[in-house]
Amino acid sequence: MDFSVISDNIEFLMLGLMRSFQLAVFTIVFSLTIACFIAIGRVSSRRAIRYPSAIFVNLLRSNPLILIVFWFFFLVPLITGKTLPEFHTVLIAFVVFFAAYFAEIVRSGIQSVGASQVKAALSTGLTYSQSMRLIVLPQAFRNMLPALVTECVIVFQGTTIAYVIGMREFLHSTSLVAERTVRPVELYLFAALVYLVICFAGTRLALFLEKK
Amino acid sequence: MNYEFDWSLLLQEPNWGWVIEGISNTVQLSLMAWGLALVIGIFIGTIRMAKSRVLRLVGTTYVEIFRNIPLLVQLFLWFFVFPLLLPDDFMRAWNRLDGVPFLTALIGLSLFTAARIAEQIRSGISSIPKGQFLAAYSTGLTEVQTFRHVIIPYAFRVMIPAIASEFLTIFKNSALTLTIGVAEITGAAKTIEAYTFRGIEAYSAASLTYMLTTASVVIFMGWLEHVLRIPGLIGKR
Amino acid sequence: MTLPLVQINNLSLRYGNFVALDDISIDFMPGTCVVICGPSGSGKSSLLRCVNRLEDFDTGDVIFDGQSLKAAQNVSKIRSNIGMVFQHFELYPHLSVMNNITLAPRYVNGVNRDEAEAKANKLLERVGILDQAHKYPDELSGGQQQRAAIARALALEPKLMLFDEPTSALDPEMISEVLQVMRDLARNGMTMLVVTHEMGFARDVADEVVFMDKGKVIERNESGSFFDNPQSDRAKEFIDRVLQKI
Repeated sequence: MDFSVISDNIEFLMLGLMRSFQLAVFTIVFSLTIACFIAIGRVSSRRAIRYPSAIFVNLLRSNPLILIVFWFFFLVPLITGKTLPEFHTVLIAFVVFFAAYFAEIVRSGIQSVGASQVKAALSTGLTYSQSMRLIVLPQAFRNMLPALVTECVIVFQGTTIAYVIGMREFLHSTSLVAERTVRPVELYLFAALVYLVICFAGTRLALFLEKK
Repeated sequence: MNYEFDWSLLLQEPNWGWVIEGISNTVQLSLMAWGLALVIGIFIGTIRMAKSRVLRLVGTTYVEIFRNIPLLVQLFLWFFVFPLLLPDDFMRAWNRLDGVPFLTALIGLSLFTAARIAEQIRSGISSIPKGQFLAAYSTGLTEVQTFRHVIIPYAFRVMIPAIASEFLTIFKNSALTLTIGVAEITGAAKTIEAYTFRGIEAYSAASLTYMLTTASVVIFMGWLEHVLRIPGLIGKR
Repeated sequence: MTLPLVQINNLSLRYGNFVALDDISIDFMPGTCVVICGPSGSGKSSLLRCVNRLEDFDTGDVIFDGQSLKAAQNVSKIRSNIGMVFQHFELYPHLSVMNNITLAPRYVNGVNRDEAEAKANKLLERVGILDQAHKYPDELSGGQQQRAAIARALALEPKLMLFDEPTSALDPEMISEVLQVMRDLARNGMTMLVVTHEMGFARDVADEVVFMDKGKVIERNESGSFFDNPQSDRAKEFIDRVLQKI
């Protein structure tokens, strides 16, 4: 085994890792935002809002991410008439997919704050939206932080799927170098190690937050 | 949007053949991997609760490794790296096997999911009131006997929803195995799309497979929980 | 001279900085019913759990029926001679009452199923819930569950019965049915160590009362004398406070 292949190609590999992070971070930011709206929609008293939100979430959660990516790669050029750069298309697919998962976390976070809290807040004269903003959401956020962090780790792990559509994220970069230098053992083990360290740190963070 | 729908092409050969093969492989792979994952996962989950620190460490290490490396990377490791690490004779025998992609996928999926199941087992067992352990030990049952007759059956019933959802997770994760050559349904859909350019029809076939399976399992789970509500079994405390 | 059934020598137990048991030495004779009482945190439950080594003590030893618990290789075997009843009953929820009772005899003592069930039926009759044999714990009232738990503890024909606040989790109407069973046990000569707040039981049924506070045994006396003539100030205080509530 010759691990120098890794140091020789480290810049290229790190570039790939950066792209993985980019995809993950953009996904998290956008899908979490959308998820908040979907979550509120899920608990809405109006059926016209509740049903579509539920359908959206269940639809997306029933399909594998890789299939959703294929869907979007097919539909986006079809609908928009032009071909977007692959990063953008993948990002859209990821955002839509993970919005459904984040929405469930946000929803259970909101529901974990007992209804009696809302009643207590209302009884002191606060309006519904004030109660939501000042009482419910801060508590909900603290409750769901561990689950959110865990989901972020899952997003990061999910970026490997972008390999399938040829985006140069970390796994794809690794496989390119592995093919070129014919040293798959060293390179894939290295990739596994990098992912292991990053995700392990993430799950530890989630555990730490849970204990607080 | 300029799109000509043609759903009938799904029923034509070779598309139909691909669809059937895809569904069949997906179902087989998922069921077998789930079965294996349960066995391994229950074992790992139990030793994580053992009194021996060494056993606990082994279990924890397993879980952390297989949980934190993305599934796709694990599949690549088993497919590209594992055969090369075998001694020459074994490697040759391995490469001559029929259905190496399927076998690799089976190993990769099982070990990955086993880590997840082990985690659920651990949290399931942790949720059991400590008094149950004390009561069992106080009647003279050994640690092994206590786990076998009291803890595992109790925890199992509490964990049935989680275990069923793990099946759905494996079912969806099987899609990743198309990267190592397994002819499962998502791969079949992609192939059909490549040949016919009718992506919506092709991917719908795949999506339908996943969604129908999900719906069926969810309904089955509801029935199971109802049936198992024989007094005092599922979280009535 | 009969030997004590339980000999506790210089027993100490700490949880981190908290001293649960502080160098306790006490003996219990066979055939006696002893009530252990005291304020919460005094170490009563810890002491009980040390007797069947459900708690690992730091220093000292417990000698049960001539055998040292500290040195014992097979604690499980020793435990099968001691029965324990818990505050929250702790019946196995996934097993019927019958199976709850026969589990240990079958797997610890190798008794076959039919024999175990026959014995269980006798025990169930004794505690008054024979008709509940095939029900699950969740279908029983608190009092019935605790009586089932007592039957489960008796199934191994123990030499000693430990009761850890057996009636504290029961609704008032059900306390007496459980105390009745315990009374019968005492009358039939079972050696019993009972941690409880039920002073009526202590007075009428127990032979002796042990009063503990802050991990130490403060006082020990025959039950009549203890209530009529407490020696220590702590015990006096405790009795006044408890009796006030009755």
